[in-house]
Amino acid sequence: MNDWQSVMGLPLWAFLFVIPTLLAALSLRFRTTALKIYPPIWKILDRVYIAGGVLAATFMCLILLIIVAQMISRWTGTTFQGSTEFAGYAMAATSFFAFAHALNHGAHIRVSILLNINDFTRFWVDAGATLIAAITATYFARFAVKTNFLSDLLNDRTQGQDQVPEWLLAIFNMFTSSPADWGTIWSTAGSGWVYTPVWLPQLPMSLGTILLAIALWDNLVRLLVNGKTSIVSETLE
Amino acid sequence: MTELYATAIFLFVLFALLGSSVWVGLALMGVAWVGMELFTGRPAGDAMITTIWTGASSWTLTALPLFIWMGEILYRTRLSQDLFRGLAPWMRWLPGGLLHTNIAGCTIFAAVSGSSAATLTTVGKMSIPELRKRGYPEYMIIGTLAGAATLGLMIPPSLTLIVYGVTINESITKLFIAGLIPGLVLASLFMSYIVAWHFFKKDERPEPEPKMSFGAMMKESRFLIPVLVLVFTVIGSMYFGWATATEAAAVGVIGALTLATLQRSLNWETFSASLMGATRTSAMIALILMGAAFLSLAMGFTGLPRALASWIDGMDLSPVVLIAALTVFYLVLGMFLDGLSSVVLTMAIVEPMIRQAGIDVIWFGIFIVVVVETAQVTPPIGFNLFVLQGMTKHEISYIAKTAIPMVCLMLLMVVLLVVWPEIATWLPDNMRQIGR
Repeated sequence: MNDWQSVMGLPLWAFLFVIPTLLAALSLRFRTTALKIYPPIWKILDRVYIAGGVLAATFMCLILLIIVAQMISRWTGTTFQGSTEFAGYAMAATSFFAFAHALNHGAHIRVSILLNINDFTRFWVDAGATLIAAITATYFARFAVKTNFLSDLLNDRTQGQDQVPEWLLAIFNMFTSSPADWGTIWSTAGSGWVYTPVWLPQLPMSLGTILLAIALWDNLVRLLVNGKTSIVSETLE
Repeated sequence: MTELYATAIFLFVLFALLGSSVWVGLALMGVAWVGMELFTGRPAGDAMITTIWTGASSWTLTALPLFIWMGEILYRTRLSQDLFRGLAPWMRWLPGGLLHTNIAGCTIFAAVSGSSAATLTTVGKMSIPELRKRGYPEYMIIGTLAGAATLGLMIPPSLTLIVYGVTINESITKLFIAGLIPGLVLASLFMSYIVAWHFFKKDERPEPEPKMSFGAMMKESRFLIPVLVLVFTVIGSMYFGWATATEAAAVGVIGALTLATLQRSLNWETFSASLMGATRTSAMIALILMGAAFLSLAMGFTGLPRALASWIDGMDLSPVVLIAALTVFYLVLGMFLDGLSSVVLTMAIVEPMIRQAGIDVIWFGIFIVVVVETAQVTPPIGFNLFVLQGMTKHEISYIAKTAIPMVCLMLLMVVLLVVWPEIATWLPDNMRQIGR
């Protein structure tokens, strides 16, 4: 199983699945201590989820703009190359960034027959379901990130006609390299446009799925510590 | 025999995960993973992301958030009051009186929104108190509203039809146009029920409405006319082939924003509320679609759909029997799952079956929407019932009872669709279409 290479002597799956589960179990065992440690972290995380939601909303506006631009270009007889691909990328970003935010607002649907039997099932079924969901989401995130890295490694390019400016790629390259290399990045980056490398639109997938996984583990811990779910659903969605 | 065991485990995991209230999208992913591990040696994780990425970044899907957003904007405007005030003067003449505003209001709101819950709240918010004030019997108010709100899923734009179209890779524009006539037929069925009530239950009729001049009628409905213009623009642009479904949705969003601005109900608060609400709903559906995409990949490896399709084929069923069986199947499924989930969950299995039987997939899309709609108003899990319970504080069982005539009418609609499939297929066959 080369999918789960070892990190610091432990296989990767231990870090992703076992340690968070143990952490959740410990939180349940030592509730009072947990209630002292977690609240500041929760405050930060809540902001991160909202930021994800706002980012997603921004991408939704972007879809609208891309499609309006596409219609205008068709009427005026000019071409907007790769508009459908760009709209697709924005769509993916909208979905992935909003997952965690939607979860916290109870937008994701579930079959709640067992949940609603009594308070005992409400707690334990919810805990079990959140644990399963957290494991699934972590698995999802792990392979999203792997695919994202592979796309970069294999230098995968888009199959459509969409192009992005090289300076945009250079900005993202700065994040993954040490400041010492920034000079080389900018001197080698041309001023032209290149066919979109697939890793770029896949970034929201990696970030969004990681955020969803964190949100689910977070919800599990909050449920165990507080004794009730922190998902507040709106009256109507 | 091991195949059989594996299939049994697979199905068991499916129901266990869904039943234990794991969020539907993630439950589907979990089941799909089990399926991949049981039936193939292919690396599950990599196949999963490839499938999900292709689906999630597809152009077809972009119609989804925009149509949701359009509905969200109008949901937060004053449209609810305008619908009742604008429609009431025109409906008072009909036998059955203002009860028809429930049906007409739902039909109009359904044409700007793809969700039946939003349709129900928007229309009900205004019509329930007004109708009560005028002394219409409670069971007629609640029942007609519960039934008519399901039009939200049928009349374009419809979220269920987008999801159906994306899942089986068919043109969303065609599906939308196909839903138009059946939606109107269903609406007129509901209306004829109200007319029948008017003539059979003479003692329940409230006082007739006071007279009103034509000028006053026009004045009352002046707010409604822009909404109707928007509806015709969005649907017309798709029908005449001026715009793809996504482009029509973009036009709809811009139109809705303009309308809200003119009404002075658009401010930063309503704008951001509509935007964030639409983002959440669209993310919810996207997660389910991702799970469904991975599940249908895994289903393909299990060989279950092919086996079932050839089994059905071998039984030499007539399409009518098959459709009858599927109706019962979806009604039962609808008792536990919401409409969207039951569509995405079953399409991987049902699609080869209906294609094998030679059933038109566009027609089947409309059929499945009617059946799923019916499940929305039948207990124990009927989403419309829950929304109505929240609004009226009646018992679920009472609301369900008032909706029984509507359920019968919807089943009658299924029969009509089977007898005259042209209701659904004629319009899309005669439309002009560009691309997707």
